[in-house]
Amino acid sequence: MTDYNELIEEMLEKVQKAPRYTGGEMNAQVKPWAEAPLHFAFCFPDTYEIGMSHLGMKILTGIINEQNWSLCERCFMPWVDMMALMKEKQVPLFTLESRRPLREFDVVGFTLMYEMSYSNVLAMLEMGGIPLLSADRGEEDPIVVAGGGCASNPEPMAAFIDAFMIGAGEDLIVELNRAILDAKNEGLPRMECLKKLAQIPGVYVPAFYRAEYNPDGTLKSFGPVSPEFPARIEKRYVYDFDHTYFPTKFPVPYTDVVFDRITLEIMRGCTRGCRFCQAGMLYRPVRERSLETLVRQAEALVASTGYEEISLSSLSSGDYSCLPELIRELMRRMKDRRVSISLPSLRIDSVLKESLEETQQVKKSSLTFAPEAGTQRLRDVINKGVTEEDLIEKVRDAFEGGWSSVKLYFMDGLPTETEADLDGIADLARKVVAEYFRVPKEQRAKGLRVTVSASTFVPKPFTPFQWAAQDTIPVINEKQEHLREKLKIKGVNFNWHAPNLSFLEACFSRGDRRMGLVLKRAYERGCMLDGWNDQFKFDEWMQAFADCGIDPAFYANRERGKDELLPWDFLDCGVTKEFLWREKEKSDRAEVTKDCRQGCNGCGIQRYKGLCSYAPRKEERHADPGGI
Amino acid sequence: MRIQAVFEKNERVRHIGHLDIQRAVQRGLRRSGLPVAYSNGFNPHILVSFASALSTGACGRREIMDVTMAEEVEPALFLEKMNGAMPPEMRLLEARRVEDRHPALTALLKAASYDLTLRDPGQAEKLIAAVDAMMGQDRILAVRKSKSGLKECDIKPLIYALRGKGSHLYATLALTERETCKPGMLLDAMKNAAGIPPEEEVRMLVIRTALLGEDGEGRLAPLESL
Ligand code: SF4
Repeated sequence: MTDYNELIEEMLEKVQKAPRYTGGEMNAQVKPWAEAPLHFAFCFPDTYEIGMSHLGMKILTGIINEQNWSLCERCFMPWVDMMALMKEKQVPLFTLESRRPLREFDVVGFTLMYEMSYSNVLAMLEMGGIPLLSADRGEEDPIVVAGGGCASNPEPMAAFIDAFMIGAGEDLIVELNRAILDAKNEGLPRMECLKKLAQIPGVYVPAFYRAEYNPDGTLKSFGPVSPEFPARIEKRYVYDFDHTYFPTKFPVPYTDVVFDRITLEIMRGCTRGCRFCQAGMLYRPVRERSLETLVRQAEALVASTGYEEISLSSLSSGDYSCLPELIRELMRRMKDRRVSISLPSLRIDSVLKESLEETQQVKKSSLTFAPEAGTQRLRDVINKGVTEEDLIEKVRDAFEGGWSSVKLYFMDGLPTETEADLDGIADLARKVVAEYFRVPKEQRAKGLRVTVSASTFVPKPFTPFQWAAQDTIPVINEKQEHLREKLKIKGVNFNWHAPNLSFLEACFSRGDRRMGLVLKRAYERGCMLDGWNDQFKFDEWMQAFADCGIDPAFYANRERGKDELLPWDFLDCGVTKEFLWREKEKSDRAEVTKDCRQGCNGCGIQRYKGLCSYAPRKEERHADPGGI
Repeated sequence: MRIQAVFEKNERVRHIGHLDIQRAVQRGLRRSGLPVAYSNGFNPHILVSFASALSTGACGRREIMDVTMAEEVEPALFLEKMNGAMPPEMRLLEARRVEDRHPALTALLKAASYDLTLRDPGQAEKLIAAVDAMMGQDRILAVRKSKSGLKECDIKPLIYALRGKGSHLYATLALTERETCKPGMLLDAMKNAAGIPPEEEVRMLVIRTALLGEDGEGRLAPLESL
């Protein structure tokens, strides 16, 4: 093994933000290399500041290190200055803990949180000394695995990843590592090891599956190359969410990271069924952690990290059944230690005034509401069960409670959107402003700030909009221009994003294996760190599509038919295609679907006994006649 | 009551800036469970101060923190709890009790000692050979970066001691709120004396080995002994 330490020390003196690469944080686990036979490099395909804000990474690295036979080190995407130096000095990408190159690990795992980090995966593989293509890897190379939300459509990454983990990783990662270690001990060749992995429930090994295409470019067939591999791969679930592994300590970064605080996952899943929301469909069913468990975790984490803030996290924290009790209990315990409690992703129809007042006691940050669409019609289309009265009432409570800063999140380009829906956004913003001035001057806080953010809608797999076309870039530009004009309102700020990134995201989110060719080509043309505005090279991406003879509009702007075979159809992610199509048809009619708490909607999860607490218990049929 | 503790900032965390070190200590104090005192106001923080900010890239062997406690705490207990709560990269070495009226660390600080490791043996040889001649000059000119731009100044009165050995330079330099000679300024002057062109990069590891104040007889002595 070459010792790169001297060179790394020299590079660290020259780069910006060297602590991105040095580790040594409180609670960072450094296991001696020889102590565990299986070495896992956990790679987050973005910079340290982003990766270290990610709860999933803390959970999984904790689990791997907890097994006495495996150790886990961390690796992040270096910034451009560091990359240039590494290239110049020929230093391979190394882990924070032992500073070993990625290629020296048995398993190299990537977490795929968003599509625009895919090019970073390629960059990290290459810098780590690992062949880009799974097919080019030899006996000495690590097994490259990936998981995370984006693994629900693994196809664009199929050429680069040896094995995908579909669904909850808590148990799966241990089973996968165990199988890799057994194969290593038995001296199995790489292909035999991958065959073993393909037998683990929830594991997808792309090398054993073949895709064929029709002349019009749509998928003709997809399936395993031999009957020894499953035709459908079922994702993994956590059944006992209250007792699932949760780290009682995690590394505390020295430098500012995006979320620099304790994150308590109070709930997984969401009962509301917003039709655009992939997380809401993928993380079904809703499962809560008990108050006792959460209080215990909070106590342990405050003691082990010394953080001064706890944030409660879930898709819809306001729906947590004992939210006021939880907040009250946490505040009672944390007061003398000056630890504040914050609630992100606050849903406008769920939080009680009481708990609003309590959070404010500790910390008064800006309140966030997400009506997503400007009119009731469009909110019904997307099944966002929020009314204008709800919103206005919550905003009034907030203004009366001493808040003066409100953020409103919307999407543009939603299916069936018209000009009236865009105008509705401005109307809503105006009503929010009026509500502020309705509070008597001496009662309200000074400095009204209403921030309206509009992001471009990206249709995602495993949602009722998986068949939908995304608006083209010129159409989105026009819509944003319209919004900019309409939102010239005193006290209102408008934030928008150029649609280029959302367009690419749409290509990848519903891409097939051919998108992998585009990705590789774009990477060769210098595309990486695409999530960073100043690094994103849209023209190079378009050139990469052209080089490969692939039309991006085929993926982004094309409406799919009911019977089209979709690239991710071979995965069973819980919700059935029939349910999604039913939801799509209801959406066409602007018909809403009720919250699961008012009765099961037959999404498919009810097939798993004991998983969803709102699904019918026994064999009784659920209410919806269209169910499976 | 207050507790003054000597701590280390080692090689692994040498690129952490002062503000982040401060925060790491605050969080360490929180983890320790010790009865620390908080400031009042909207964003309460733990009352802890430091003798001097240590530059990004530098290690410190005997840095000093001064913590105000809400209750009496034995220094030995402080040391034990904090060493259980801080990363090994920032170990605490000793702790003592000081009275509330004991002057603030910054008011006592006069100078600091440094161990500068030169990475290039050739450069080290040239620089060390130039020490005596440079110290024999009436004035040692160096460029100071200040808010109003670059300013030339004489750093000779700011150098208490300077000697070289092997690949190391050992220097004691003024460090007060009014007058400071940073290791980089010293190095620039030495490059000049050794005939090394200013644009030539000289890599060195800066280790601050002691923070010094003046004892009753006006001699430099470690701050933690005053
Ligand atoms: S099984 Fe029924 S209640 Fe459970 S998530 Fe699906 S639709 Fe909702």
